[in-house]
Amino acid sequence: MLALRELQSAFRRAVLEGDSAAIAPIVVEDGLFADERIAINRSNVLASTAAALGDVYAAVARLVGERFFDHAAQEFVCAHPPTNACLNSYGAGFPDFLAGFAPGRALVYLADVARLEWRLHLAAIAPDVAALTPDRLAGLKPSEMPALTFRLKPWLGYLASPWPVDRIWLASRPGSAGDARVDLDSGGVRLEILRHGDVVTFRPLPAGVFAFRAALAEGSTLEAAAEAALGAERAFDFARAFAQLFRDGLPVGILGRETA
Amino acid sequence: MAYAWAMVGTMGRGDASARAPESARFGLGLRAPHMADFLAGRPAVGWIEVHPENYLDNAPARARLLDLRRDYPLSLHCVGLSLGSADGLEPEHLASLRALADESEPFLVSGHLAWNTSGGVYMNDLLPLPYTEESLAVVIRNVAAAQEALGRRLLIENPSTYLRFRHSTVPEPEFIVEVARRTGAGLLCDVNNIYVTCANFDFDPVVYLDWLPAELVGELHVAGHFRGARGGRPLLIDDHASPVSNEVWALYRRAVGRFGLVPSLVEWDRNLPPLPTLLAEVLIAERMAARGQIEAEDLRARSPASAGGSRAGAS
Repeated sequence: MLALRELQSAFRRAVLEGDSAAIAPIVVEDGLFADERIAINRSNVLASTAAALGDVYAAVARLVGERFFDHAAQEFVCAHPPTNACLNSYGAGFPDFLAGFAPGRALVYLADVARLEWRLHLAAIAPDVAALTPDRLAGLKPSEMPALTFRLKPWLGYLASPWPVDRIWLASRPGSAGDARVDLDSGGVRLEILRHGDVVTFRPLPAGVFAFRAALAEGSTLEAAAEAALGAERAFDFARAFAQLFRDGLPVGILGRETA
Repeated sequence: MAYAWAMVGTMGRGDASARAPESARFGLGLRAPHMADFLAGRPAVGWIEVHPENYLDNAPARARLLDLRRDYPLSLHCVGLSLGSADGLEPEHLASLRALADESEPFLVSGHLAWNTSGGVYMNDLLPLPYTEESLAVVIRNVAAAQEALGRRLLIENPSTYLRFRHSTVPEPEFIVEVARRTGAGLLCDVNNIYVTCANFDFDPVVYLDWLPAELVGELHVAGHFRGARGGRPLLIDDHASPVSNEVWALYRRAVGRFGLVPSLVEWDRNLPPLPTLLAEVLIAERMAARGQIEAEDLRARSPASAGGSRAGAS
């Protein structure tokens, strides 16, 4: 007889690794093989968790079809199971998993479509915080400016891809008005993911503004973000981009170097 | 351990929110796809029940839930507590649940006689326990800890199961009643789960139901199940994907006859129909409950001395 903790570890191995050697002998068969009984719980776990991934990665699911998606999602669940019951936060690693998933290798853009969907999902579940007004900058000395870092809206996201993932995503929507065919060689995108009320959207940004905002979102100082932007686009206009950041209502907090 | 709830009861939250409002008789399990309909139409159901795990890390959904809470009594039906886990409960998860409960003031909070965490991994199903003295000690410890962390009494729901362990020694209804008695918790009697489990193991669901003491039952659930067969025997799966079956309604009528008009809930989780179909199920529950009361009175009138239980059979 297994102690409860060992029994639960053995059951976990049966569910996630398909290894029922330790658990099957202690299951009452009663007309069904032990493995058939265990398979009911196993399939409940894998199918329901894959379905939760399917809610987040709906475009990926439509691009590859239901059977392919379920197969990939269930493999992901077994390899990287959730650590708690809050499945809204589960699945961050699925895009990287897809990138290395051999059967999907021909779909070179798939992982980036998934990265866009994860960003859209994060934007949908994030809290909102009141935007900072530009007058908060008024008391700062010019010498303090380069070292400033900003907290931006919690739902804000940035994604760059060598593939036109925005148009692929749009084309994959049910009843889509997007392009039925997307030319993969039509170039990459730099996207900003935003939320208006409860509605999540995205839009393309020019290279300089994208690099500037993405760097700030990652916690770079104003100076480092400006350098990144100039590196990405020679014609980057810092003063204009900085003012536009506030006009768009994105900063929610300012941190000096000592508190950053 | 036996006095755990008595202790929690003195922890000082106002009792008003914890008591079932008079209107809270027939409720609906609210799922995300119907949230917009609920917000727009505020349909006439007595109360709503949600899985709190869906609202802990989703700020906009939580705000919508709190908005609805102004118009409906709320029940938090936890699916990830893992009350049967030998590893114990997760303090962080309990703290998040406590914060949501303090904000939303549910009149009921419930969990399952099951487990779903092991070795830091969460498995999204209600997994079966061996019914042993060791498990009993684990579940009692976890239920007491959950009640203390949440500052509220829990209702424990009987699970649907598809397998039993060879070393189980305690019949399931005896096990769950013992947990409730020793922790001060109540019971959430899921009539569909009784039906499914008993069908799968060839036990009499009426005997199971009659084993549960009326004073412990604080809520009833009904739901649909899938009826399959394996090797010439029925194999029922609790999938919450279809209307409540006639057999489960019959058992529900008996439950209302025994337990009275405790809050009753219709659950439907997969293949979700449009909201009006679910609201119609709730109306059926209301009619079935009325019939159940009449049938119970008839039964009592015919055989006044027939009360009293035999030993429960399902394990």
